[in-house]
Amino acid sequence: MIKAAIYGKGGIGKSTTVSNISAALADRGLRVMQIGCDPKADSTTLLRHGEKLPTVLDTVNQKKDQFELSEVCREGYGGVICVEAGGPVPGFGCAGRGIVTALEKLERKHAYEIYRPDIIFYDVLGDVVCGGFSMPIRKGYAQKVFILTSGENMSIYAASNIAMAVENFRGRGYASLGGLILNRRGVEQEREKVEILAGDFHTSITGELPYSETVQKAEPLKKTVIEAFPDSEMARAYRELADHLFRICQEETGAQNNA
Amino acid sequence: MKQISGLIPTYSSDEFGVCSALYELGGLVVMHDASGCNSTYTTHDEPRWYDMDSQIYVSAVSEMEAIMGDDQKLMDDITEVAEETHPAFIAVIGAPIPYMTGIDFEAIARLLEERNGVPCFGFSVNGMQPYTLGVSMALRAVVDRFSARTETALSPGNGRSRSGARVNLVGATPLDFAVNGSIQSMREWLTEHGFVPAASISLECSLEDIVSAGEADVSLVLSYGGLAAARRLEEKFGIPYIVGVPIGKAFSELLADQLGTCVETAKSPEKASYADIHGTGPVVAAIGESVFQASLAAAAALEQNADLRVLCPVDTEEFLLRDGDDRTPEEDDILRELQDYEAVVADPMYRVAAPEQAVFYELPHEAFSGRIYDDVNPNLINRTLQSAGFDFSGRTGRRS
Repeated sequence: MIKAAIYGKGGIGKSTTVSNISAALADRGLRVMQIGCDPKADSTTLLRHGEKLPTVLDTVNQKKDQFELSEVCREGYGGVICVEAGGPVPGFGCAGRGIVTALEKLERKHAYEIYRPDIIFYDVLGDVVCGGFSMPIRKGYAQKVFILTSGENMSIYAASNIAMAVENFRGRGYASLGGLILNRRGVEQEREKVEILAGDFHTSITGELPYSETVQKAEPLKKTVIEAFPDSEMARAYRELADHLFRICQEETGAQNNA
Repeated sequence: MKQISGLIPTYSSDEFGVCSALYELGGLVVMHDASGCNSTYTTHDEPRWYDMDSQIYVSAVSEMEAIMGDDQKLMDDITEVAEETHPAFIAVIGAPIPYMTGIDFEAIARLLEERNGVPCFGFSVNGMQPYTLGVSMALRAVVDRFSARTETALSPGNGRSRSGARVNLVGATPLDFAVNGSIQSMREWLTEHGFVPAASISLECSLEDIVSAGEADVSLVLSYGGLAAARRLEEKFGIPYIVGVPIGKAFSELLADQLGTCVETAKSPEKASYADIHGTGPVVAAIGESVFQASLAAAAALEQNADLRVLCPVDTEEFLLRDGDDRTPEEDDILRELQDYEAVVADPMYRVAAPEQAVFYELPHEAFSGRIYDDVNPNLINRTLQSAGFDFSGRTGRRS
């Protein structure tokens, strides 16, 4: 089972990208699970045509352990299993602890064994702001971390912080950095800037998404580009990225299994 | 699911379960907890504290360390202590504060082991679950890490007869067995029946005993806390296990026979030794750890035809309970269930939960009432219940 975590600055397009990658891999016949790790609980919206999903934490809060997995794991486009960890409303509680609890609950309910996905994506809130947000890359969770960034300075800064956190976790048996995904925003010398960042962390740009209005057109339709505009250039770019990430993760999993 | 105890105490925690299970093994046990929390364990739940040395260390995590997630300070402090004291291993265990901040104890153990070259364990307990979970995690971990079998040792069942078979006692901690001679009595019981006592994991037990546990022919599981370790010994070395505590005289005889069969067949039975033993006489509620209470129930059925029904408020499995036994994880469950009983055998602190007219048989349980009743906690191993003062016919039961 392949597990990958996607991090990046808030608003950079993580959920849109992850949802499109999930949809593309589902179209390839793979069983995909996408777990949103953000209190906003909107990671899988595009896969479910805008329909809200009961979050793991809200469900645990209401029912303790007396709930079925099917209450929090719902199928979206292409049979992608959609899960939202959820969390407290802004200004209250502890979102990081929430992520830990949500992922532990899924594990204790044997979600991975029951749904047996080929690949799981953890779509994680903007930054590794506390211990809880490192949960998706701890041992037993993701094997690879991908960071989505544009060439904008704040995005590069956030990506750098995330990459540094991943590096600091070396020795703990956590996920390693799989690479950077460049989500173009039309910044001058955009690729060059992100290449410098990649060099600083001894990694590479593993995928590149062009700036495209197709993404904006798909959003009000509450669909992924893969579903709404399957023949578009952007859909092709998402498919290419999805295939590439899958290959990288497959190689990592194969290496781990052989180790 | 109120998760509230208003009348009765709570059981010793998972955090203390780990400490208790590792107490005698020569390791450095680090509670990553606020200063003072170790004394809750050492002065209430650890009867060996004043008589036997053990390295129980509390990190005294401060508010700022918790906020800043200063794992490095924790690891530096542990390393400093380990360099002074040369422990055989290090165990870093969780508590409520690190639970809330989501500390990854397995990762810390991995880093500590790399840094110090000493075997390290990380236990993600949180101080809010029963001791049974902590005992289970700790015993499984040490058996997994340290137990070994030499190449020359016979495989279990490979020509072994029950006579001379080496028996591990797995799941012994003072939290379930106090320090009242029960383990020594079990050894004597084994010897009486021609067995050879091996490791008693982990009460009256050294790390060397844990290592040699892999050489045994069979394991006797004494509590839920020992089940995972016995299963691990079976996975690693093919050592079969059987579940039961040799309480009473008749049940001890029967258990010894089943133990012998387990050695000869080299196969773990599908049921606990007491699974099919029920009395038809006076009905009594037996509250506590599942293996101990179900074994007591079997002893009472065989000796006095009493019908003890186990109410288990701590971790257990269906496999460890008999038909008619029940899980009662919350005080409300206990109070509701006890309304149906006219007799109860339990720790004295359960008296307030029993119906006023019920006959109440006092049987202290260290994990529930701590050291309060240490002086009167009876050793029930391989002796008739009558001789230990228990007559479940109700004639001698003390009324509350």
